[in-house]
Amino acid sequence: MHSAVSHSLLVTRSTRMSRFVVASVVGHVVLLVAAILYARFSGGPKVDMNAQPIRATLVRLGKPRDAKLLPRKEQLPPPPKEVNAPKPAPEPAKPPPSSNAVAVPVPGVKPEPASAPKPEPVKGEREGEDRRKRLFGAFDKTAKAAPEEDPEGAEDGDPDGDSATAEGERYFGLLQAQVRRHYSVADTIPESERMHLKALVALRLGRTGEVLDVSLTKPSGNDLFDSAVVAAVRKASPFSPPPDHLRDALQKSGVNLMFNAL
Amino acid sequence: MKALLLSLVLVPFVALAQTPTIEISGASFRPLPVAVPAPVTQNEGAKKEAATFDATFTFDLTASGILQVLDRKSFTADPKEGMAAGTINFSRWADVGAEALVKVSLAEDAGALRGELRLFNVGTGREDLKVSKDAPGNNPSLLAHRLADALYRHFTREPSPFLSRITYVRKAGANRDVVVSDWDGGNPVSLTKGGINILPSLSQDGAQVAYTSYRKGRPDIWVQRPNGEARSLVAEGQMATGAAFSPDGKRIAYALAEGESAQIYVANADGSGAKAITDTPYGLNTSPSWSPDGKRIAFVSNRGGSPQIYVMGADGSGVTRLTFQGNYNQTPDWSPRGDLIAFTARDERNAFDLFTVHVDTRKVTRLTQDQGNNEEPAFSPNGRLVIFTSTRNGGTQLFVMTSDGNNQLPLRSEKGTLLTPDWAPLAETAQP
Repeated sequence: MHSAVSHSLLVTRSTRMSRFVVASVVGHVVLLVAAILYARFSGGPKVDMNAQPIRATLVRLGKPRDAKLLPRKEQLPPPPKEVNAPKPAPEPAKPPPSSNAVAVPVPGVKPEPASAPKPEPVKGEREGEDRRKRLFGAFDKTAKAAPEEDPEGAEDGDPDGDSATAEGERYFGLLQAQVRRHYSVADTIPESERMHLKALVALRLGRTGEVLDVSLTKPSGNDLFDSAVVAAVRKASPFSPPPDHLRDALQKSGVNLMFNAL
Repeated sequence: MKALLLSLVLVPFVALAQTPTIEISGASFRPLPVAVPAPVTQNEGAKKEAATFDATFTFDLTASGILQVLDRKSFTADPKEGMAAGTINFSRWADVGAEALVKVSLAEDAGALRGELRLFNVGTGREDLKVSKDAPGNNPSLLAHRLADALYRHFTREPSPFLSRITYVRKAGANRDVVVSDWDGGNPVSLTKGGINILPSLSQDGAQVAYTSYRKGRPDIWVQRPNGEARSLVAEGQMATGAAFSPDGKRIAYALAEGESAQIYVANADGSGAKAITDTPYGLNTSPSWSPDGKRIAFVSNRGGSPQIYVMGADGSGVTRLTFQGNYNQTPDWSPRGDLIAFTARDERNAFDLFTVHVDTRKVTRLTQDQGNNEEPAFSPNGRLVIFTSTRNGGTQLFVMTSDGNNQLPLRSEKGTLLTPDWAPLAETAQP
């Protein structure tokens, strides 16, 4: 009986535990108050009412085409038409409003600068055309900008690496890629001849990467191929400025470009 | 091909004294941009025929697949510019994107039409080709084909398809007539006059046509020269259809219906010595097409449940199924290059389209898509072009494209419903 009473939870006892309980309760209260105060004064997370919701749609993963079905052609968007004819001159700015209209200056209101009228899309077609031009203009820019990257050493490069050699190789790599982008040859050349076609072109570049001289030093013997390789170099120019240590060499002795048809 | 063969070889500059060499390989190949101004006429007789000549000549070059004929509207050169290199302002031609310039001068003399063609390299200003051809004064399109052929040979060193001939069926009311024409559909000559005549096939030299005719009530195979009499080739008292001449012209293959089944037969070109080379009691075997070496035959068979393309030896040995995609594949035509067989297939959208299957790898490639129904392919003698029928513009017209499905153009053929074209295997075929 005695032992049962002494173990009852209802019996108040003064043990060391009670001190811990009190400390714990006080600690929690302090933390709670601190949190409430912090929330009150810090203002909470900012909510931007103008933010656009991000729409995410789950798209079902396309099933691979049944192997028993006939293949379909990949539908590529039609490539932008190359315009060979000279581009039409930009539309002349709108003439100033006719003399009948009298511009009355309103005090306090600054007149809109007349020289920069907002482009008003007259027709949907023109708008689309403009947008396309802008888009391809942007592509052109990136295409041109790419080779002009600052040829610095790589962050994770080898500390013992010869930066000059790497820079040179990198420059020649850019040169190669740029020429190759314009390297297209007529389909009229018989397939049997294509594997034997080789031509050597000597190229000298100025300090800013401009072409000083392109010459066919070893022609292939096929006029169409020969003119195509020279055209590829001319179309690819101007190149980005050569690195310092190559500048003189590229100006004096230049670089050889060995073209293979295949 | 381009990407694979691109070898990025940078020869490092060992010493500054040595000029570095960069290797650039893997050119992209594209049709040669060529300017073809209207022909210059030397006299009144030539002036009369210039328009027909010009249309034919321009079509040949445009459809060739190797040239990109530039739009004349963009030309800035003086229209009165001369024929000689010294008188030509090449920068004007370079400005419009031309890499080659083709000038033609026409003259008529005593009932004959003469054309002189000069080809210039716009980049170098050099005259690369100077050639003259003649044709009867009343046939300016023949002169156009001859000059276009000379140009094509200069570039590719192989004969063009421009002097070859095609045959097709013209459907008018209940009648179906067999017609032979130039490759572009010009100069059509009707062989039959009424009745039902179908599935024509040109002999190797284009001199005669075998076709299936119902003139005796049941389908038999007849053979005929343009402007000649028809003679019966196979009349077995059964139903014979779809004859095909072997490449050497010595044999024919055709299908013969026997009760529930149809078998492929091979016979001598005069119809003698016929022998069945397939034997499937309840199966249909039709539409034979010879391989260019004459040793094998492609055909359609439903022995696997659905019509599919098969190949076998010309004696019926070694039957192999080629197509396993799609469930309705028919009308095979074996490329004169040997590697591809073009065929018509009905896809899962119930559209008829053209495909090729590679004879060795069995890879199926689509040539047409989403443009009406496209059927009945026939390869050009050099295997670079394919003619076919298409309903894309309403009606059934003849079209031509390159063998990889590019540059699809309507032929300049007569109006009407035109069906089942066939192309003679020889590049230069007999003129009627």
